Amino acid sequence: MTPPVVNNLIAEFRAGRMSRRQFLAMLTTLGATAAAGTVLGYAPALRSTAALSPLKQIDPKVLIYGGGQDVATIDPSDRVDYSISAIMRQLYDRLFRFEGGWPQPIEAGLCQEWSSNEDASVWTFTITDQAKFHDGSPLTAMDVVYSYQRTLRFQRQRSSLLSAYLSVDGVTAPDATTVVMTLTTPYPAFDRLLAFLEQPIVSEAIATANEVDGDEGAAWLVDHEAGSGPFKIANWQVGTVYELEAVPDYWQGWPGAGRLSGVVWQKSEDAGTRKSGLLSGNFDISDTISVTDVEEINSTAGIAAAVNFGLLGGYLKYNTQEGPTADLNFRKFLNYSFNRQAFADSQLGFVNAMTGPIPEGIPGYDPNAEPQYTYDPAAARAALDASPYKDGGFSIDFVYVSGLDFEEAAGLILLDELRAYNITLNLIPKNWPDIVGGCSVPAGGAPIAFIFDQFPPLADTWLIEKYSSKSWDRPTGGSYQACSFYKNDEVDALLDELRVTVDAARSEEIVVMVQSMIAADAPDLPLYVAPNVLGLSNRVKGFTYFGDISVDFWRLWIDDAT
Amino acid sequence: MLRYLGRRLLLIPVVLIGLSILTFTIARIVPGDPVKLAAGPQARPEQVERLRADFGLDRPLIEQYFTYMGGLIQGNWGYSISNRRAVGPDLVRYFMATLELTILSTIIGISIGIPLAIISARWRDRFPDHGARFFSIGAGSIPVFWIAIVLQIVLAQNLRLLPVSGRVDPRADFPEIITGMLLVDTLLRGNLSGFGTALRYIIIPAICQSLLVISVVTRQLRGDLLDMMNKDFVRVARANGIPERLIWMRYLMKNTLIATVSMLGFLIGYQLGGAPLIEYVLDWPGIGQYALKAALLLDFQPIMGATLFVGCVIVVVNLLTDLVYRRIDPRIGFK
Repeated sequence: MTPPVVNNLIAEFRAGRMSRRQFLAMLTTLGATAAAGTVLGYAPALRSTAALSPLKQIDPKVLIYGGGQDVATIDPSDRVDYSISAIMRQLYDRLFRFEGGWPQPIEAGLCQEWSSNEDASVWTFTITDQAKFHDGSPLTAMDVVYSYQRTLRFQRQRSSLLSAYLSVDGVTAPDATTVVMTLTTPYPAFDRLLAFLEQPIVSEAIATANEVDGDEGAAWLVDHEAGSGPFKIANWQVGTVYELEAVPDYWQGWPGAGRLSGVVWQKSEDAGTRKSGLLSGNFDISDTISVTDVEEINSTAGIAAAVNFGLLGGYLKYNTQEGPTADLNFRKFLNYSFNRQAFADSQLGFVNAMTGPIPEGIPGYDPNAEPQYTYDPAAARAALDASPYKDGGFSIDFVYVSGLDFEEAAGLILLDELRAYNITLNLIPKNWPDIVGGCSVPAGGAPIAFIFDQFPPLADTWLIEKYSSKSWDRPTGGSYQACSFYKNDEVDALLDELRVTVDAARSEEIVVMVQSMIAADAPDLPLYVAPNVLGLSNRVKGFTYFGDISVDFWRLWIDDAT
Repeated sequence: MLRYLGRRLLLIPVVLIGLSILTFTIARIVPGDPVKLAAGPQARPEQVERLRADFGLDRPLIEQYFTYMGGLIQGNWGYSISNRRAVGPDLVRYFMATLELTILSTIIGISIGIPLAIISARWRDRFPDHGARFFSIGAGSIPVFWIAIVLQIVLAQNLRLLPVSGRVDPRADFPEIITGMLLVDTLLRGNLSGFGTALRYIIIPAICQSLLVISVVTRQLRGDLLDMMNKDFVRVARANGIPERLIWMRYLMKNTLIATVSMLGFLIGYQLGGAPLIEYVLDWPGIGQYALKAALLLDFQPIMGATLFVGCVIVVVNLLTDLVYRRIDPRIGFK
């Protein structure tokens, strides 16, 4: 087993925060220390991070984090976004950890062991008896049951994916360390789903004690916590500053060579301000840095940018039910007309091109596949000639989120290309709520919309939410993921099967088949996976990318010596 | 005076009802579905409908309006559909940050604007006048968010004299809240170091916000002073040998103050509505940013709350301005 300090060294080196010479020197020092320790009979100590680390006795420090988004709520059963998730991971424990690296591995959290029956309809989880809430009370299986039931009862955003498989009555605790979940629909990847959903485990006693009018503590928990995580709230000033302090004797310990004494999430919604905060030393980390600032950050002493690709896929979605984009050949024409290289250049190369409907990081992604539609004017011309729109002479709308320059860049590239075919592209910036509202029914949908999708790393969910007609052809209308209004009966049938099949081989087969069928129908142009760009001070150690926009503060520490 | 005050106070509900109808209508006719947005991308249809019902958005519009207004009369400003936070406490919290910024920026604006106007008028068409006019026109025409970014880069990023953004020092203890205005609260607690910290954080936003006040006060007062300087009573005063200082202080300033106060009343009301661009760039947690965010999310009750709250404040500021008129010029009656 590699000692953690060596892992940290390797991570630092890989992240480019340590030169090859420094890396080798540190490794040699460690080797010599290990040899001396063995000779002197202290070898066992080398397995302890604290004993091995050249950074031992590092005083815990407060980390200032410039977050691009406010932390709207910390109710464990309410909504989810990246800033909420980043804070919730610190305040609460979950059954699984999901931040061990990329692609995302499932790591044990509160749940030490888990298993399912043969058809994946009943799942049993063994909960640790070591975890304690911040008030000192033990965390038991009953708290786990309460937390899941509370979320399912509330029926808010956090329950959306869960309630497709689990009902309130389906979660039980036969004893203090066992939780049994009986699914309404068998699901072989349920453990992965739970890991992704990161349901925070809340103290039932504290939530109940703060209940008002049967709200299960909702009004109180919106800005208070009742968790067992590595940090607790020190000061919570809504809209101003969110300060956490470390729980030194956290039951899972601290994985790094040091730890933080606290974290301050300072909301900083302007990208320029986040960059200035980093350059001035006001922030130790800034998230959602613009790709145009990467070079400046990397050329500044003491800070560096970490550019990684995650699960935020950008698509040009075509309205397959209305207007010119209802025609398959016209959609193919659009796909062949889009100059991916020009778009990549506009983003300074920080683009991970998508080769098909499923991006990297999702099971079913084929790393060797070429993009199904590449820039090919001859193929575009042929497709347009095969459509009823070969003479052009009309205009078509391209809707994107107001203020997002990378979406506008995609529109401008397409606009320039379509001009040669006597087709005018109207670039229409809209507020996000307008775009979401427009995705309800085909009649209101934009012919072409630039939409970013973020999904759990599960192929079935990823495909169903976007390409099953059940995701939009329903009385309440569709969601923005289904803004192509795509309908193919064969694909629908396969996706229905994919949701319930417990046969892994069949599941893989369906994913491959469906991707190929979708590509043939061209309901969208899977464009690129957006980068998650963080700016980090070199004082910050222990950063591991795990597919998220933010970081896991539990793994970090600050070392001023380097 | 009391009768006048009573009549003006009675008009406030009428104004607010009109404002509420207008805001309610606009908020409900804009395209987009706040419920779908709040329910999240993977929400099932029954979740969306439940959320719609929770917020009464499945009811007829007239019923929704009267339900909201009924709650308002009982002091319930409603809840945000996006985060379920109570609107009332949030409004107060964000407004106090805006009020603090407005007071300081107005003080800075007056302190610089009035002397600048006097210098400008006193040395009309000479170098000080040109300089003052150049500054005041520039202050009013350069976008404040650009000024904010420049000050941020120069004073915070390069010189490291002031913090880049925010309202409090994340490494220091958060001041104990009394009024919600940190400069006031730290002084009331005798926390001088906290006062210094709060001052450092408010300087850049206050400078940015004061530029408009400087610009308007300088130009308004300069024009009024120049106009007044040509009046007969000033010429007579000069002819009678009254010292220039007395002419300026007793005759000119006093007679030009009403228009300036009127303009200041308008500016204060305008600032109390928040400055979303400054607040956005400098992360000042003011009411403008709160309202803007609510508007972008079509978060109906915070939009209504912020509009009515600010509307109420502006009505009160206008009333106070009218009372100040009377104080400055006793000839103005309460009719």
